[in-house]
Amino acid sequence: MDFNLMIEIAPLLVQAAWVTVDISARALFFGFFIASALVVLRTSRIRPVRWLARAYISVVRGTPYFVQLLLIFYGGPAIGLRLDPFTCGVVVGAFNIGAYMSEAIRGAIESVDSGQNEASRSLGFGRLTTLQYIILPQAAGLMIRSVGVLAIILVKNSSLVSIISVVELTYQAQRLIGSTYKPLEVFTLSALMYIVIIYAVMGIVEFLYRRATRYTFL
Amino acid sequence: MTQTTETPMVELKGVKKRFGDLEVLKGIDLRVDRGRIISIIGPSGSGKSTLLRSVNNLEVIDEGQILLDGVQVNRPDLKGLAFEKHINHIRQNMGMVFQHFNLFPHLSTLENVTLAPRKLKGVSASIARELGMELLERVGLADKAQVYPSALSGGQKQRVAIARALAMQPKVMLFDEATSALDPELVEEVNRVMKGLAEEHMTMLIVTHEMAFARDVSDWAMFMDGGVVVEANTPEHLFSHPDQERTQHFLRKHLGTQG
Amino acid sequence: MEFDFSPVIDYLPVLLQGVGVTLLIGVAVAVMSVVGGQIVAVITLYTRKMVNWPLRFFIWLFMTTPLLLQLYFLYFGIGEWILIPAIVVGVLGLGFHYMAYNADIFIATIKSVSSGQYEASRSLGFGHLATLFYVVLPQAFNRALPQLSNNMIIMVKDISVLSAIGIGEMVYVSQYAISVTFRPFEFYITITVIYYLINLMMEAGQTWIERRAAYRS
Repeated sequence: MDFNLMIEIAPLLVQAAWVTVDISARALFFGFFIASALVVLRTSRIRPVRWLARAYISVVRGTPYFVQLLLIFYGGPAIGLRLDPFTCGVVVGAFNIGAYMSEAIRGAIESVDSGQNEASRSLGFGRLTTLQYIILPQAAGLMIRSVGVLAIILVKNSSLVSIISVVELTYQAQRLIGSTYKPLEVFTLSALMYIVIIYAVMGIVEFLYRRATRYTFL
Repeated sequence: MTQTTETPMVELKGVKKRFGDLEVLKGIDLRVDRGRIISIIGPSGSGKSTLLRSVNNLEVIDEGQILLDGVQVNRPDLKGLAFEKHINHIRQNMGMVFQHFNLFPHLSTLENVTLAPRKLKGVSASIARELGMELLERVGLADKAQVYPSALSGGQKQRVAIARALAMQPKVMLFDEATSALDPELVEEVNRVMKGLAEEHMTMLIVTHEMAFARDVSDWAMFMDGGVVVEANTPEHLFSHPDQERTQHFLRKHLGTQG
Repeated sequence: MEFDFSPVIDYLPVLLQGVGVTLLIGVAVAVMSVVGGQIVAVITLYTRKMVNWPLRFFIWLFMTTPLLLQLYFLYFGIGEWILIPAIVVGVLGLGFHYMAYNADIFIATIKSVSSGQYEASRSLGFGHLATLFYVVLPQAFNRALPQLSNNMIIMVKDISVLSAIGIGEMVYVSQYAISVTFRPFEFYITITVIYYLINLMMEAGQTWIERRAAYRS
């Protein structure tokens, strides 16, 4: 194991790792809004809207993220959509994770006992206020854990934007393997960085989860 | 039942409901005057819970009318947001107590009681706390104000649930088998609270299996079976010498209810 | 915005070949990862921690790093010393990746089959291995089915990533066709649809399998 080499290439990889974090964070952020919108649309009273939302979720979850990425990046111009690689990565990531997240949110909300909804409504709370004060606080824990799992998948998926030439961690790793002919060293360091990112995400998720479920220890 | 010329607190006219092919309520008429306490008994599947739950529209009826203090509760003519506004407003005048309590686990006892007044009626936090504590005193749980539901016994939870429903100062209280899920030794404390309410002339509709309690507390008793009211009379009459065969049969099956 | 799908029709045989390669890889990886996953799980559970740490490390590593990175490592790393065709690297890479995920599931389900089952079996006279084989594993497999089938459905979608190391599956052949016909949208939307149909069929299969499994439990 050539440690000198590893020290040499480390800064390059760290820089690229930040790009990974950047792309993933943005995709997660926007994905959350897309997911929330989908959750609302999915329960709309207007049937075509409901159907469209479900169809969207079904298609996005039923096809590979990689193909979606290529479709939007290379196929986009044909429908007037010209995105630069980084933005494309964020947008496709957001729309992709948004579909999964909407199911996670829905699942968490449905996991709350229906009696809670009944008690709240019988007091006179409306749909939105019931959601706000009673349902969401109880669904939060499960939601946070589920979204955490998706966030980790998002980080790993971000490696695919290397194919459309975004200089993130995997792109840099591949480049360095090619230029240094030392795959083991490059892989070890890159793998390490992914692991650090992922464990950081898990740590944040755990922290948020504990905060959201504080009432269970009281 | 002695009629008054006042508007009844709760009125049901020709109420029908079906679940798919099954007709659960086959045309119910009921009139509950102010301050009256009605108990509804019957076997499971008789429709008694469905009937109670249709009063505050947790079950939507297919035919008929339900009125609270002269105002129609079920409004098939209203849709969407308009109906939302209407039903939310009306429900604030009714209190419901559930078999499985349904306390909000993420809030303390006091918060459970004060949430609705604060958020729905805009009551200030300090006044809500005062009123909340008063109610908790009344049900004998003032010392558990900061405790969370998970730390309470079934009987305590139900008493908090009653306090929570009372916090909105409802015109009528609906009890859906309030003691059915409780261990026998915890039933008494809840009954005591309900009795206290009865003495204060709260209008109450009580669906229950507790025959002795029903006889003790209510002014009027109804026996339901198969979606219809088989017999309705004063508790003395219904429980001691019912007219109908079905009523007799049902009461016999439930030990210690006759005589 | 004008679309021309005639190149897609022209290249249909090529596309279908890609679909064939995709499905072939799917089956190969499924078999490898399910069988391999059970073996890894059994070895991990029934050997001492001092001995099985490489396996646990392997599971952990393949689960926490991206597939593409693993593929690059295997392709450029092992490809350095021995000349292996890309498709073998691809199948092995994807295979190891999902072996790790499946082993993780099996470890959980094997543990969950109650020890009482083990005791009952032993008291009937079955040896350790027989108990494992006839009593524990079948039940563990049954319990693993939902999550296992989910993983396999995800795996088929991941086959698209193999295009990055030059394996002739759907995406790769499309890219070739695009380089000649300059119709990226038409081709990519076509394989999106094909993938979606494959996914629907797999989900139907999943429901069927789970229904059959329900009888056994």
